[in-house]
Formats: sequence, C-alpha cells, structure tokens
Amino acid sequence: MIRGCAIVVGDDVNTDLLHPSYFFSLDPKTVRKGFMGAVTSVDARDEDKSRVIVAGRNFGCGSSRETTMTALKLAGVRGVVAESFGRIFFRNAMSLGMTARTVPSLKGFATAGDALCISGNELHNERTGAALPLDPLDPFWEAVLTAGGLIPFLTTRGDL
Amino acid sequence: MSQTLTEKVLSRGLTGRTMDGSEWREVEPDLLLGHDATIALVVDRFADADKPLAFPERLFLVADHFAPPSTVDRANVLRRFLDFVERHGIGGPAGGTFQMMQGICHQVLVESPRCVPGSIVVGADSHTTMAGALGAFATGMGSTDILAVLQTGTTWLRIPPSDRIVLEGSMAPHLRGKDLALWMMRTYGEGGAGWKALEFEDCTDGDPIPMDSRLTLTNMSVDCGAVNGIWVPDDLTRRYFESNGGVWPTDADLSPDPGATYAAEHRLDVTNLAPQIAAPYSPANVSDVAAVAGERVHQVFIGSCAGGRIEEIADAASILRGRRIDSRLKLVVTPASQAVYRAAMEDGSLTALLDAGAVITNPSCGACGGIDKGLLAAGEVCVSTSNRNFRGRMGDVDARVFLGSGLTAAASALTGRITDPREVMQ
Ligand code: SF4
Repeated sequence: MIRGCAIVVGDDVNTDLLHPSYFFSLDPKTVRKGFMGAVTSVDARDEDKSRVIVAGRNFGCGSSRETTMTALKLAGVRGVVAESFGRIFFRNAMSLGMTARTVPSLKGFATAGDALCISGNELHNERTGAALPLDPLDPFWEAVLTAGGLIPFLTTRGDL
Repeated sequence: MSQTLTEKVLSRGLTGRTMDGSEWREVEPDLLLGHDATIALVVDRFADADKPLAFPERLFLVADHFAPPSTVDRANVLRRFLDFVERHGIGGPAGGTFQMMQGICHQVLVESPRCVPGSIVVGADSHTTMAGALGAFATGMGSTDILAVLQTGTTWLRIPPSDRIVLEGSMAPHLRGKDLALWMMRTYGEGGAGWKALEFEDCTDGDPIPMDSRLTLTNMSVDCGAVNGIWVPDDLTRRYFESNGGVWPTDADLSPDPGATYAAEHRLDVTNLAPQIAAPYSPANVSDVAAVAGERVHQVFIGSCAGGRIEEIADAASILRGRRIDSRLKLVVTPASQAVYRAAMEDGSLTALLDAGAVITNPSCGACGGIDKGLLAAGEVCVSTSNRNFRGRMGDVDARVFLGSGLTAAASALTGRITDPREVMQ
C-alpha cells in the first residue's frame, strides 16, 4: 500500500517542467533540488515527504533524462496516477520501481494536499472518501514493479 | 498476415521470449545509441554489476551534450562517460563506434553507414526516433532500460499499432520539414500519437522530400508521443545511405504490405500549406506564422537535432545574404554536426551568416535543452528551429520560444519580428 500527500497537475506536464535540465547532475543533492523546478504551483518543494502525484493526460512527456525520476523518488514521491503517461517516463518509472498507474479520468478527484492511498488496484482519497479503480497493469510491468524495478526483475529471472 | 513497416522491422528482432498474458516481448536491437549525459548515469551501476558488455560492437557512443563542457559539473559527467568508453575499448579494440565533438548523436548516427534501413535502434535519448527517417525502427529509452540492454543485449518492447501519414501534392517553395512536422504536431497534439508508430510515405509529385526534412519529421514523432517514426525507404533513402558509405541491405523487405492494418491514416497535401509556427509553451501549440506575425524577437536560434542541418543553415543564408540584422538581436547558429559545419562553410553559407551578424558556435546541442551558449532571459522571445519550446527549457522560465523552419527563423531575424518567410524570400 502506498500513502502520500497529493500533488495535482494537469495535462502534458513534461520532464523539463518536472526537472529542468540545469539540475541534471551526478550529485543527488543537485538532482533533488530540481524537483518540480518549473511547476510553480507545487508547495513545499524542498520538503521530503511521502507524496502521490495525480496528473492528467501524457504525464512526463519529453526528455528521457532519468534524473527526473530520481528527483521524484528523492523528494518522497511514492506513486504517480495519471490519465496517460509519456512512454519513456512510464518505462523509467517501472524500471526504477516507482508505481505508475492509469485511470480513465481523474478530473476533480483530488486537490493538492489530500491524503491519497493506492492499495492494490484502487486509488482512495482519504479526505473525500472517494475511490477509483486503477486500470490493470500489463503482466510484464506488473512483474517488473513487483520485483522492485527492471534490474532486480532481470536478476530474478536469471538474465543478469 | 499483412504487416506495417514497423511490424516487419521489429519482428526480425524478436527472440521468441514472451510473458504469459503480456503484449511485451523480448527484442534484440542491432544498435544502441548513447551520449555522454545519459550513459554517464549508468556507468557506476554497470561497474558494480561487474558483467561484460553484451555486444560492444553494437554500441554507437557520442560525446555531444557536454563536449566540450561549459561547467565543472558537466566536465565531471563527460569524464565519467569517457572513462567508460576507454575502459571498455569502445570504438577501439572492442569494436563499436565512439565519436567526440563531431556533432549531436542523432545527426552523427544518420550520417554514418551504421544507421541501416530495416535495423532496430534503441537509444538513451528521446529523439532517437530520428533514425527512423532511413527506414529503421528507432526508439528512445531511459538510462536503466539502457543499462539492461548493455548487460543483456536485449530489451522488452510491444509491437505498436501504426498510423500512416501520406504526404502528397507538390512542396511549395516556402515549405520545409519543420512546417510538416508542426502540421503533424497540430494534428496530433502532444500526446495524440501516444504509444503508436508513425509510418511516413512520400507520395509527392516532383522532387522527393529531402532527407533533411524527413529527419525533422521522424525526430519530432516523439513529441506527439509516438514510440517511433519510420519513413518508407525509397530511391532517395538509398542514395543518402550509400553516399554515407552504407551497403544497402538487399535481403531486407523494406515496404509495408499492401493490406497492412493502420490505426488511422492522415493525408497532407503539401501544395497549399502555409508556413507553420509553434507558440509557447508547447510544440503542439501550432498556427500559421501569419497568426502570430509581428511579435518582437530578441534571439533566433538555428540549431539542434531537429533543425541544425544544411537545410536550415543554407535557407537562413539565402535570406540573409547581403543583408544585416539589428545589432541588438542575437542570431545563434549551431550546426548539428561537423559534417554540416563543413558543408555550410564550403557552400558559403557561414560567411553569409557571419556577414549578416550571426555567431557560429561549435556543433553540439547548444542552446537546445538549455545546455550551452544562447540561453534566454526572462521576457525574451526567441524563434528557434529546435523541437521543444517548453517553459524553462532554453533559459528563464519566463522566456518564450517559438518553433519554426530555418526560413521562418531567418525571416524573423531579418525584420526583428516574427515574419512569414514569403514576405522576404528573394
Ligand atoms: S539537440 Fe536538443 S533535442 Fe536534440 S539531442 Fe540535443 S538537447 Fe536533445
């Protein structure tokens, strides 16, 4: 089960907004600093706390820089629920063991700061009491996520 | 069963391993493209695993983003990448290709005989899709995905449904690949081709659509969400590939089957399209240039993997030759590769641009991606031939970037305002 405080964003939020390129670095401190660097509406960007992102369509489109996912993880993001994902962002999430799930529509489901919970195939808003079923994950990605990411998955299978 | 070109090419790489109930299958790529910035992210993890490279000879590694570096941090990123290249003998005893400061990886790849029509290319960069202009299946991935390919020699992909994009009519003299790519962005929106393949076919009359234009379309396929953009090879593809020293793969079937199933088909008559431009902050926020003409411009950037080729540079020179831009306007020209730089030097374009008031930088990503030379201040407006005008990507979050062709960029440099190139074309 994943619990976190909601960050709510709209459609087509790209990786340059989530993590501007000048925070690209091998130093985790610099990477962390860039979290949501150009998404001006996010409160307490500097605070590390458990978070769940709720987004519209095509979340994470754009650059393949994996430092974006690292920044999300360092800032405490535990899961991302969106109406759809940019393909590379989705693969990066799975590869690094970050829960990324889709739901047909999230309009009006959460406001910033709501306590959200992803449990099995459901998304709950603990403030409003609302719940939504998550779209099923393809069995391949389900297995990758369960293993904790792509490298542990390939290791368990004996490919590595 | 009848197959699309993407289905055909990807099928050749299937290893046969699948997972019950899953659409994803294991695929063996023919080539792995990597650059300094994203490969540096996996170097330590690769060393810790202490495993050999699965296929060093299939690597194509390019130092471009941070070469030569502009900050100490970037010098350290580049160093880590170079140490990796040296340790594993890439481009040396182990085989494979390594190049530094020769240009942007995507451009260097398509100029090389290793970008083979019908092959499968995976790359540690989203714009890897560009190589599809030669009829390859080419797609981008993040660093951990790439780490797995380095170690296992395989990756997991789903064979995507394809949309067919047919270009017909005859190209008006003011149109370039960027106008067509922006039309595509306008048609799809940023995520509209999400998780699909785009298959392009040149059915125009007269001269075929030039390779530089095709490259811009397959490059920007990822910007409307596509897995890959693939151009059905024709005589021009063959001439281009062979002029790079490539040996045409006579055993590969490089045409889609007549009865192949497409998710959608779009046809564009290129005869009457007006020059296109994308306004901030989305490459899909597209209109005719005329709709935003007149806005004051502080910088013009001609460069990037989407728009730093001889097409854009020669076009800019043709508009600016014998003319001079306002001395307060920054005209930054960053050739996409040394080969482009050399060609632009030899055909006189660079001299014409220098005379007009431009600065020519070293081939690299440059201002695209906010990396180097040519970042924007708050409130500044730039017309750029690159592929992304996201907020903050090329400088301050309050700078505004418009995307257009080399003709539109040069016309705007000339007048200091966003300008439809037809107004100034000689
Ligand atoms: S030129 Fe721009 S889009 Fe192309 S690889 Fe470099 S940073 Fe990425």
